[in-house]
Amino acid sequence: MEAIEVREVTKTFGSVTAVDDLTLTVPQGSVYGFIGPNGSGKTTTMRMIVNIFYPDRGAIRVFGQDAGGESSKEIGYLPEERGLYRRMEVRALLEFHGELRGGRNVTAEVNGWLDRFDLAHCAKRRVETLSKGMSQKVQFIAAVVPEPKLLILDEPFTGLDPVSADRVRTAILDLRRRGATVILSTHDMNVAESLCDYILMIYRGRKVLDGTLESIQEQYGNDTIRVSSAGGGDVLQDLPGVEKISDLGHVQELRMSRASDPQEVLRELVTRTRVTTFSVTKPSLRDIFIRIAGHEAAEAPDA
Amino acid sequence: MHKMTRKILLVAKRDYLAAIRSKAFLFSLVIAPVMGGGSFIGVAVMKAKPDIQERHVAIVDRTGVAAATVIEAAGEKNADDLFDKITGRQLNPRYVFETAVPDDANPNAQRLELSDRVRRRELFAFLEIGHDALHPPKVADPDKTPEASRVDYYSNAGGIDQSLQWISGAVNTGLRRVRLAQLGVDRSRFADLLDSAKVQTMSLIARDEKTGGIREAHKKSEVEGFIVPFVLVIMLMMIVLFAVGPMLGSVAEDKMQRVFEMLLASATPFELIMGKVVAAVGLSLTSSAVYVAGGLFVLQALAMMGLAPLGLLPWFVVYVAAEVMVLCALAAALGASCASPSDAQHLAMPLFAPVLIPMFLLTPVMQQPNGVFATVLSLFPPFTPLLMMMRQAMPGGVPAWQPWVGLVGIAAWTVGMAWAAARIFRIGILMQGKTASFSDLARWAVRG
Repeated sequence: MEAIEVREVTKTFGSVTAVDDLTLTVPQGSVYGFIGPNGSGKTTTMRMIVNIFYPDRGAIRVFGQDAGGESSKEIGYLPEERGLYRRMEVRALLEFHGELRGGRNVTAEVNGWLDRFDLAHCAKRRVETLSKGMSQKVQFIAAVVPEPKLLILDEPFTGLDPVSADRVRTAILDLRRRGATVILSTHDMNVAESLCDYILMIYRGRKVLDGTLESIQEQYGNDTIRVSSAGGGDVLQDLPGVEKISDLGHVQELRMSRASDPQEVLRELVTRTRVTTFSVTKPSLRDIFIRIAGHEAAEAPDA
Repeated sequence: MHKMTRKILLVAKRDYLAAIRSKAFLFSLVIAPVMGGGSFIGVAVMKAKPDIQERHVAIVDRTGVAAATVIEAAGEKNADDLFDKITGRQLNPRYVFETAVPDDANPNAQRLELSDRVRRRELFAFLEIGHDALHPPKVADPDKTPEASRVDYYSNAGGIDQSLQWISGAVNTGLRRVRLAQLGVDRSRFADLLDSAKVQTMSLIARDEKTGGIREAHKKSEVEGFIVPFVLVIMLMMIVLFAVGPMLGSVAEDKMQRVFEMLLASATPFELIMGKVVAAVGLSLTSSAVYVAGGLFVLQALAMMGLAPLGLLPWFVVYVAAEVMVLCALAAALGASCASPSDAQHLAMPLFAPVLIPMFLLTPVMQQPNGVFATVLSLFPPFTPLLMMMRQAMPGGVPAWQPWVGLVGIAAWTVGMAWAAARIFRIGILMQGKTASFSDLARWAVRG
């Protein structure tokens, strides 16, 4: 049985189609990453899986049951828009969220998670007295108590410092190790590449990529050269067969046209500068993302 | 316990505890009796410090024979009413009359001159006794009495002018004495002929349930006929307003702080809204218990427990719960539809309409509590709690079936409103940046 099956789901808001005929399957025990520009439909899809929004067409099944049924208590959800009752004490708040979802006392689990995130000393403090990072960790705990079979995290690393982000990442992997299925959305392609078993890219409400990182990269072939040289990005103009140059600072990525020969590029390059590294590789997820979404990625409103 | 009930109660418990520990709740608990008691304190102060400034009244007597007798009657009334017969303290102002010779050539000029004297506060008022006022011809419509047959009272007094009643008594006594004199009745018989009998309002006779005997009637007071129902309705209104107002703002604020999306993953909109409503009902019943206990304590201390409408308390609780339930469900829905807490303030007035409109209707309902107008209005579900409570609390009460029919209407109204509110809440709560219009709300309620 799959953790989630989304079949031909469409959701519209007025004249805007937020999700358009989306089909996807999330295997149990996997970490599934949603990527896509702002407004592409990631959050709407997550909200439909959690049963906050209802699809206009299509069907969503969670652990073999219709969304919103008994499975809802197995789903932990961290929304993108963070918010907690500000005047509640941390422990009381976490117990309230845990009991509301799980239907049982969760004091022991709350204490365990507070210890794990070094928040035990804040248990009696009101949420409004916490720093932003602490609040984010408290909200993450609220999503994972009681331990869910399915964890849905909308932009879980946003606003976290590297240490806190690493703790959340470790916690996600621990939960997966114990059998939980995780869906997360992210704009950080490094997170998607390193953390996710499967990646789904939604663009303008439609699925444009779905699979493992390797299978996605396979679709594009070895059409990318990563190079670093003494001349940097300035010496790369007008190389034969190069369609696009991405200057990443110390490294530059060159996208090759279909019929071009990397050896020819290398020959030309050594005549211009001293080359320190040169590798022919598959495109990065970031590059694939930009190829699909282009400049629109940063402009669309959220959905 | 059923899953839905458990979630509703969990949300209700959280909201109830959060609210009852807030300073706003304690403030509302204190301010309601202060506001309610304030009006009674005002009345007491007015009675303790009456306006006893002398009032000068001019009489333009076109009969030529009435003025002196009217002034004589007024003098006797002054002597009778001016002082408290036990304490000797002056309670009412002395009325001092003067006559003005009628200017039949230019009556309007004379009226203007006298009016100016009233404006300059040289006079309190002036009277014009028409030429035929002693023996006016009969007319079908009293409002169409000809000027010559009337006694006109000109005054600049605002508000409820109690002087009119006083002067009217003196004028009529004076005119009746002139008529009696014209009939040749001896003056010594005037007092007997014109004496008024005191009409005392009494309670109905009832059988004593314990002894089986017939209980004696008791004198009915103004307190029994008016104050008790009025206090009950004011208490009900205050409790409802203090529950509904915060709900509107707090949902809008929670929406701004984005606390709902995570909750919506664990509970349905209906469970969330009903949890909030149950918490509000709990708070209102807590307030009610405090007020009722306080009221009974005061009545006990004043040895007036007989005035306590104990039989109406269950209905009071039902009406509080029903009104709070409906209005808090709507408040939560409206709060969820606002882009900011300040936007929510604009929606307060239509939300409070089911409480405020009946308050404007109290006077006609009290005048004829069992008339068609009062009956129909009190069976209109949004108005039932306040108006039926008022009618039930008045001496004589209402037919037994009416509160039950009202209750059925309230129940249907409550279920319908909660259902619509949950649909509005579900859509509104995740919408950011725009306050919904009333047409949006109607569409969400109907289509979901």
